[in-house]
Amino acid sequence: MTNYLQLSNITKTYGHFTALDDVSLSVEKGEFVTFLGPSGSGKTTTLMIIAGFEKASGGKVEVGGQSISELAPHERNIGIVFQNYALFPHKTAVENVYFPLQMRGVSRSQGLRQAEDMLSLVGLKGFGHRHPKELSGGQQQRVALARALVFEPSLLLLDEPLGALDKNLREQMQIEIKRIQRSLGVTTIFVTHDQSEAMSMSDRIVVFEKGRIEQVAAPLDIYHRPQTSFVAAFIGESNLIPAIITSGAVRTAENPTLGAFQYAGEDALADGQKVTLLIRPEHIKLSRNPIEGRKNARMIVETIVNYGDNALVIGRAGDIPMRVRVLGADVVIIREGEECCISWAPDAVFVITK
Amino acid sequence: MNTFMRWAGFIVVLFIAAPLVIVVPMSFSNANSLQFPPPGYWLGYYRAYFTSMDWLIPTWNSILIATATTILTMALVVPATFALVRHKFRGKGFADLMMLMPMAVPHIVMAVGYYSYFGDLGLVHSHLGVILAHTCLSVPIAFLVLSANLKGFDRNLERAAQSLGASPAKTFLHVTLPILRPGLVISSLFAFIQSFDETVVAIFISGRDAETLPRKMFDSIRQEADPVIAVISTLLFVVVLVGIAAPYFASALRSRAPKPSRPAGAH
Repeated sequence: MTNYLQLSNITKTYGHFTALDDVSLSVEKGEFVTFLGPSGSGKTTTLMIIAGFEKASGGKVEVGGQSISELAPHERNIGIVFQNYALFPHKTAVENVYFPLQMRGVSRSQGLRQAEDMLSLVGLKGFGHRHPKELSGGQQQRVALARALVFEPSLLLLDEPLGALDKNLREQMQIEIKRIQRSLGVTTIFVTHDQSEAMSMSDRIVVFEKGRIEQVAAPLDIYHRPQTSFVAAFIGESNLIPAIITSGAVRTAENPTLGAFQYAGEDALADGQKVTLLIRPEHIKLSRNPIEGRKNARMIVETIVNYGDNALVIGRAGDIPMRVRVLGADVVIIREGEECCISWAPDAVFVITK
Repeated sequence: MNTFMRWAGFIVVLFIAAPLVIVVPMSFSNANSLQFPPPGYWLGYYRAYFTSMDWLIPTWNSILIATATTILTMALVVPATFALVRHKFRGKGFADLMMLMPMAVPHIVMAVGYYSYFGDLGLVHSHLGVILAHTCLSVPIAFLVLSANLKGFDRNLERAAQSLGASPAKTFLHVTLPILRPGLVISSLFAFIQSFDETVVAIFISGRDAETLPRKMFDSIRQEADPVIAVISTLLFVVVLVGIAAPYFASALRSRAPKPSRPAGAH
């Protein structure tokens, strides 16, 4: 596989403010890559630079081996779906989808036929004559998607396209977008601040923070092997415990409150190195008494958030805040304000060095 | 309380509508000056209006000046509004203020200014002078209407068009212009009406050669109170009424047209 989209050392500054700092990324053809990060992290700026609406202060954007940095937006052949869809209100759905073909000189009769076909693909057969305001949010979303795909763009960019939809519709559209993307095999960049969206849709996730790329990896890698504490805290729920490596050879670390830890992992770490230990809430077990063969600690339960099938137990082990995810049935053994025992296996502990 | 409010509302409406109610019958009056109620009815003053060059020339002047004012106003306001709404630059606040200034300054002050200034330039008593002065007065109104429209314009629409392959010129033609069309129409209309309606500056600078309709009416009412004034008022009232009612009739007609029972796109 060759790199299809290549970002090389992209920087963007506004006066003294650095919005993007040396961003480099390779995306393969047909890949679905998500830019994930809090607002202001640089993910949307990067997208706008790829689209050509923002000019990078430095660096290069290449698609299929050709630099597109100097091309105007309308010369780039990139389809974009905006958060508010940006459908043309004075055109019907099918005319919206026909628009990119019209700009490419396709005749009206043929173009409208192609647009209708594309509308069928996104599940809007028979809605072509409606104006955007006569369509629901989800339907507008589909029209925007059809319009961005009908001209066979070299890239599809999605800028938080699901943000305006309610929860059920959002999940439905996640599946729908994945299906359409896969059936057309179009290389896609998806921008979101919603980590569950990123987890469920992406081939790879790019985590942005403060204008830099924190980590690029497959969703499960990001979740289980975050490289920085920011990524660990941003993706999913996490317990982050500061510690010092006591012996890299036998993989032990120590926290002043919780004592000695065993951890899993292949890296040989230097003794005395300061690290952060990550334990996901679902890997911690809650019990009345200590369990043998596991690392045990005492926790005062402060709050129990019940979700029905599972519950999040929030408490403190000494001065360290802890979150434990338990199955609904397990939560009946404890009450808020009680002390209980928490425990985990060594392979639940992941060491973060940054 | 409710009944009282209703009566109060009725009286206010009556008070506002009274001039219109009086002017229409007076236009059909056979009295030789403005008089209400009319002693008798005939159409003589309508004939007088449509056959007298004393009235038709000022009417033509007003239409000509208002049309030219509208074109000139829009030629200035459209680019200015895009610049002021979409871009930040040094002196933007000052430019904003200058755009609205003619609205804040009393017309009589402007009129006196134009009278002496255009006098030196030889523009008094000319169509061009009135057009320039009226443009100055129309610019703030057209600017206010258009900038409100442009501020509400979603720029992502233009970005979307460009990403879909439209050059900046095509984006303007296919997306920006059609979406802003209502705003452009309304601000042109306001510019036109402003000029057509304007009396103070016209009295000062239009003279005999570029005499506008409001000026002629003002002169007439001062000298002889010719009932033709009532005729013109009635005609203008009818034009406005038709202008307001036309879109309603059009949409009513459209909604009566049979709708396709099946979506046009279904096969």
